[in-house]
Amino acid sequence: MADTKLRARRFRLPRRLRNAALLIGAAISSTIILLAVFAPFLATHDLAAMDMVNRFSGPSVEHLLGTDNFGRDIWSRLIYGARISLTIAIIAVVCSAIIGTIVGLVSGYFGGWVDLLLMRLTDIFLGFPPLLLVLAVVAVLGPGLFNVAASLVVVSWTEYARVVRSTTLSLREQNYVQAARALGASPWRILLREILPNSLGPITVLASLGLGTAIVWESALSFLGFGLPPPAPTWGWSLSYGTRFIRDEPWLSVVSGAAIMVTVLGFNLLGDGLRDVLDPRHKNRG
Amino acid sequence: MFRLRLLAATAAMALATGIAGAQELVIGADVDAGTLDPRLARDTTAYRSVNLIYSGLVHLTSDLEPVPDLAESWESPDPKTLVFTLREGLTFSDGSALTAEDVVFTFETILNPDFSAPQRGLFTPIESVEAVDERTVRFNLASPYAPLLSYLDMGIVPSDYDGDLSTDPVGAGPMVLSNWSRGSEIVFSASDSYWAGAPAVKEVTLRIVGDNAARAQAFEAGDLDVIQSPLSPGDIKRLAADESFNSNLAAGLGVTYLNMNTSKPLLADPAMRRAFAMLVDQSTIVNAIYEGVDEVANSIILPSSWAYDASITQPTFDPEGAKAAFAELGWSDSDGDGVLDREGQKLSITLSTHSEDPNRIQAVEFLQATMQQAGIDAQVQISDWPSFSTGYVQKGEHEIALLGWLNIVDPDRLTYNQLTTGAGLNWGGYSNAEVDKLLEEGRTALDQDARTQAYQKAAAIIATEVPYYIISYQGYHLFYKKDMPADVTANPRGTFRGMIGMPG
Amino acid sequence: MTAYVIRRLLLFVPMAIGIVIVTFCLLLLIPGDPAAVLLGQEATPEAIATLRRTLGLDQPAYIQLFIYFGNVVQGDLGQSIFQNAPVSEIILGRIGATLELAIVALTMSAAIGITLGVIAAMRPGGIVDASAMVLAQLGISMPVYWLALLLMLAFAVMLGWLPAIGRGEPLLSAFGMAIAGNPAPLLDSLSHIALPAASLAVNSAAIISRLVRASMLEVLNEDFVRTARAKGVRRRQVIWKHALRNALLPVISVIGLRFGALLGGAILTETIFAWPGLGQLTIAAISQRDLPLIQGIVLTFAMIFATVTLIVDLLYAVVDPRIRLK
Repeated sequence: MADTKLRARRFRLPRRLRNAALLIGAAISSTIILLAVFAPFLATHDLAAMDMVNRFSGPSVEHLLGTDNFGRDIWSRLIYGARISLTIAIIAVVCSAIIGTIVGLVSGYFGGWVDLLLMRLTDIFLGFPPLLLVLAVVAVLGPGLFNVAASLVVVSWTEYARVVRSTTLSLREQNYVQAARALGASPWRILLREILPNSLGPITVLASLGLGTAIVWESALSFLGFGLPPPAPTWGWSLSYGTRFIRDEPWLSVVSGAAIMVTVLGFNLLGDGLRDVLDPRHKNRG
Repeated sequence: MFRLRLLAATAAMALATGIAGAQELVIGADVDAGTLDPRLARDTTAYRSVNLIYSGLVHLTSDLEPVPDLAESWESPDPKTLVFTLREGLTFSDGSALTAEDVVFTFETILNPDFSAPQRGLFTPIESVEAVDERTVRFNLASPYAPLLSYLDMGIVPSDYDGDLSTDPVGAGPMVLSNWSRGSEIVFSASDSYWAGAPAVKEVTLRIVGDNAARAQAFEAGDLDVIQSPLSPGDIKRLAADESFNSNLAAGLGVTYLNMNTSKPLLADPAMRRAFAMLVDQSTIVNAIYEGVDEVANSIILPSSWAYDASITQPTFDPEGAKAAFAELGWSDSDGDGVLDREGQKLSITLSTHSEDPNRIQAVEFLQATMQQAGIDAQVQISDWPSFSTGYVQKGEHEIALLGWLNIVDPDRLTYNQLTTGAGLNWGGYSNAEVDKLLEEGRTALDQDARTQAYQKAAAIIATEVPYYIISYQGYHLFYKKDMPADVTANPRGTFRGMIGMPG
Repeated sequence: MTAYVIRRLLLFVPMAIGIVIVTFCLLLLIPGDPAAVLLGQEATPEAIATLRRTLGLDQPAYIQLFIYFGNVVQGDLGQSIFQNAPVSEIILGRIGATLELAIVALTMSAAIGITLGVIAAMRPGGIVDASAMVLAQLGISMPVYWLALLLMLAFAVMLGWLPAIGRGEPLLSAFGMAIAGNPAPLLDSLSHIALPAASLAVNSAAIISRLVRASMLEVLNEDFVRTARAKGVRRRQVIWKHALRNALLPVISVIGLRFGALLGGAILTETIFAWPGLGQLTIAAISQRDLPLIQGIVLTFAMIFATVTLIVDLLYAVVDPRIRLK
């Protein structure tokens, strides 16, 4: 009796907290996505309209979030930038997830030397300093939306491979999987029907967290000059210019950094919340 | 008790460093020296470091005048010969004597193609160098070569040294290498074997801070005593206005320019290049993006040069004029999509620059917007320096590239190897026989008036044909703390001799 | 255990070979000619061609790769194109600074993270817990280089409390000097490492704090804890003596992985703070296309990563006897 009371007292609020994370995360993420999708309607100025006289003006009636180093409207560029960042992030995450999941499933299910080989391959990619790998891929492929996304895939797919491999390993021994094998089902059928659906939980969590990471990576690339070429309104360029002017005109840096931070926060919270809902084993793992 | 001892110890330390500090200097640099062999130097820190460790036959003052350094005098018995007389009793920092042999050795190695000296191209008119006697050196030229004197501040190296000069330099300059912590700092200490005596400053530490903003911040925080270009315009304005620092803002020896690839069909016609040039808003670029720390350029001759002519003009910013010019060449917006076209082809151009310089990126972004407004489908391409320069521009693959040239101590340096037909640095494939003739004249005439004439005429043609469109003349900006150990003479080449109490 | 270690070390070999080959291919594909970069803009095409021949860059790719492998097995990582010194020497000279930064950052993040996580777990659902977790979320979401610049701006430039750039005396020797009676270099070293380490630590501290909190909560609910409580052991004692020790097990593994992430994150931080470590060297090497140096750095990072994961796995096995090394 005392036990349950103790437990109930301990965990009532955290569950609310957990759900709060999911709610807030979902709210922020969907706001950002909506802003991105409806950007053409929500933008107040032409993206390329330079106004060198009014550079670095603060928020005003005319310019919701002020102007940047070229006098262009920050608000319009930020929401269009959301499009670019989100597009790159989604492509990167989806591709990483697909590649990583395939590798993880095959590696975990078939085991043996296939597993050994694939895990060595994963090690090779993990052993590289990620920034180096991303820079190298972008330098080789050249600039462009898909190339930037591709470079991010190269460093993120290993996460999915590892996680899916471990869930596959544990699921492989489950009764229903053994039963299906006994019934003579082909490995692919088992993978697709039995194992993959049960791995979707961790994959979704990773994906949602991965979106945030991808956005930060993209801004780092632009910061170093390797991202999409100007005048693309990526968040990375805004932050890059912002940090150059940080001493005298900090607003641009603050607002672009905040945009990135809030978006990443949103996706992280969403990921956390999803983790609790989809994967009860991880309920308290933070 | 312990705290008292700690205080006393710290106070004693502070006092000691304070006393020593009066003769020490910490200078901020943006890159590490690649080598300390003057014959192989090609980055700014290397140039400035070897300028301290070695001496050349002459020394260039801040007005770019060659004055005697290791050589006490020189004469030119005929236009193709230059004879130098070295001072008496010159020694290297290791005590060995510096004689004509060493001078001959220095230049023979530079001229040797297998030695891969980056600046060999500046010395190729030299046919041979010979030691007439211990203190006399004769240069025999294949043809008269006026700029040679301004390149003869090349550090002289010992001919019989078995160490590696790149890392263990031995020179006859005012300072010697004390310690080199790669990528971090280079420490020099005063040499006691310099012919003009030891410098007032006994120790110079060159600290490498790659990021321009970080370097400026370090200067403001007091971690650096001296900083100079390259710096971000915002930092330059702020530091210049700050009363707690001294500054020296002068015309520099570099230009920022657009390299137009004349070998591309779209840019083969000078009229097209002029039309594009009319879309370059120099004033906004220089005054807004560069915040006025550089100067709007009017021709390929620098204002710091004796050949400067303010009356030569390149095409100036004129969007209407550009539109008319394009129209004359057959470009008009026939399909109403906002982009000029001709015979079904859109007017597209790629503007490119490198990623390391945010001002250049901004300039290109600004140019792109201006051109886009004028109906040109302008694209931007940005890559890092090695990709951009060695993998793109130097292969002649660019269309309009934004980059710069430095160290222009003589007009020949910005023109001959870059714009004569087939020259090694003529990446845009420009060819004009008249310009070839004039530049040859400028290089071989020994009378400065004749040279001035030649260069001004060439500059006028270049300003009309625009293979190079000079956007701005770079400024040279020097900032230093108030209580410097010695009087400061700023030199637009950024060399350090003027900061250690030696004649700049 | 020894068999396990040997097997792990052997597995490193194919990974290293794979990394070298991948790096080689990438470097060959990236545009940019190191010989031309070395000689600068004013060099003639002939000079560049001569230098390429001297450096062996004009040979076909597979021959270059073969030569490189041949050298590596003899312990020779080649000569840096730009620095005129053996690659191994250059890396060894720089690695101390990066390891120092990573270790200090890791220590900071572990200290802050564990403390924050424990405090949050003590009263789950309360204000402290909520604020700690919000802080942690912000810490994870912040781009490192942005944070680094903000910290530099605030503490070095505006307040002037800490130096903006550079490194003091290496910490180990500074400690030695302090023990010998001269504390000034140690204070100087600590003041120089404070900002770069803090920028790196925030992200990891946030991750660790969340994990510690979750782990603590889980452990606090387990049988042996409730037994202790039932026996009347005080709450505080329960937390510190019993729960923490068990809760830290998964944290060890994460700390190890964070070390790898810290090494990678050091690249941008070192550049911003002019910290003379491997990260700064990497950026310089890439921007010059110093191929042998880049190869050497990549191999070094891979080796460090492999070593750290091995140590973490071993530590884990030692601490938790339930884990069996496969």
